[in-house]
Amino acid sequence: MNGQTQAPSTKHAPWKDRLIHAGQFVLPFLVIAAVWELIVRVGWVSATALPPPSAILQRAWELCTGEGLLWHHLGQSMVRLSIGYALAMGAGLVFGTILAMNRVLREMFSPVLSLLISVPTIAWVPVFLITLGLGDRTVIAAVFLGGFFAIAYNTIRGIEMVDVNRIRAAQTMGARGIRLFSAVLLPGSSVSVLTGLRLGIGYSWRALVGGEMLSAMVRWGIGKMIYQARFWNDVTVMFVGLMVIGLTGFLLDRLLIRWLERATIERWGMVTER
Amino acid sequence: MKMNDQVIRIEGVSKTFGKGDREVVALNEVDLAFRDGEFAVLIGPSGCGKSTLLYLMAGFESPTTGQILLDGNEIRRPGPDRGFVFQDYALFPWKTVLGNVMFGLRRTGASHADAKRIAMDHIRMVHLQGFEHAYPHTLSGGMKQRVGIARALAYDPKVLLMDEPFGALDAQTRKLMQQEMVSIWEAARKTVVFVTHSVIEAVYLADRIVVMTARPGSVKGIVDVDVPRPRKYTEEHYLHIREAVLSLLEEEVAKSAEVQA
Repeated sequence: MNGQTQAPSTKHAPWKDRLIHAGQFVLPFLVIAAVWELIVRVGWVSATALPPPSAILQRAWELCTGEGLLWHHLGQSMVRLSIGYALAMGAGLVFGTILAMNRVLREMFSPVLSLLISVPTIAWVPVFLITLGLGDRTVIAAVFLGGFFAIAYNTIRGIEMVDVNRIRAAQTMGARGIRLFSAVLLPGSSVSVLTGLRLGIGYSWRALVGGEMLSAMVRWGIGKMIYQARFWNDVTVMFVGLMVIGLTGFLLDRLLIRWLERATIERWGMVTER
Repeated sequence: MKMNDQVIRIEGVSKTFGKGDREVVALNEVDLAFRDGEFAVLIGPSGCGKSTLLYLMAGFESPTTGQILLDGNEIRRPGPDRGFVFQDYALFPWKTVLGNVMFGLRRTGASHADAKRIAMDHIRMVHLQGFEHAYPHTLSGGMKQRVGIARALAYDPKVLLMDEPFGALDAQTRKLMQQEMVSIWEAARKTVVFVTHSVIEAVYLADRIVVMTARPGSVKGIVDVDVPRPRKYTEEHYLHIREAVLSLLEEEVAKSAEVQA
């Protein structure tokens, strides 16, 4: 007996459940693709303005195989995303914590934060182009800024909302300072912090694509791939790019953030399991 | 009562919340002392400030006037010379049962091995062996509060402060926990200050029952319960004690009902 309760079992075998789940997920996409394909084939819309899904998939295949141009674009984007997002995570958590712990600083910076959080990250890019140049640094700065505010803001909220009796319990048992933070405040705020990380990676990813498009010295990147396709009037490549952006954003959330959630707040029962 | 028997001395303590029109006097001039090793119960009508008094002893709040001494030293902040058991358990959901019980031991300087050994002893004491690696959310309310009690006792505080610890439990579990509380207290030999609004619980558990007045709270009377343990809930020769507590309380409950009406 180890006291761990099992998730309630359903009448289906687990693999069957998964298959049904996957089917439910894929079906709407298949329906949309089918309708789309149909209206292009019938000739209601011109195939040059809206390439049919079959053409997009074929183009995607071509870009993946051979020289593997798509992988190169995606790889460059991922490097910039990793650097920018890691910086946003570190700075956001530290800044958020400092503000949450210090009332004077919080009252001073909260209005600034509320104001800056509503500025779309892409609006900063022209400024970065001048101050940081036309290359990777500008893109990484955009990625950083995209994630930073969401992470910092949700870290503050999370720490403020930690159950006061848990803090009192820890203080009674002799925890204070950095120990109180690492043992109670940080895990206690994890639900909100994870929300920040999830929103943050979404914003970072969007900022990355915009930043790549606007930075002239950047040659590779999924955003650049779309932008460059403009010069050849290659709408199909643009759609390949859009598809990859959507899919990658989705996978980042599902693989990275869901994994973190399962390892922490779901394991601890701080949210109901999905 | 000899002075050196007294672990906690509450001297002229008042507590006021809010300012101006919204000012609420929660406690008014409370003088009280708790003896070393006794099981004391604070009881009173709701809103009488019994939990506030316990919070002052814990150091979660500061008295507006007066002072509270623990072994002669003024209480200013929470610290490991006290253990606190919360009505809502306040366990750390990110730690296992063992991790929760080890927390205070580690913070007060025990090595990992010592902390684990002592924590396991306390987990056995509250009959949770086999659950040491479970996370709190997988436990029932009664089991959670067992963890709460083990956690508060493991690092060997001088006094155990309990704020309506069984208030959220169902009647059957509550009765069982009261019985186990007696054996835990007899084994641990700690000074316990226990807040409740149940007269039956108070009379079953306490050496002394401190009855408090309606707001602003002060000491209405103290009832000694010199009945040997194990006690029975229905034993006739101490039903008069229950009556004594009830009659003190009823006046105050009537008063607080008038205020609220």
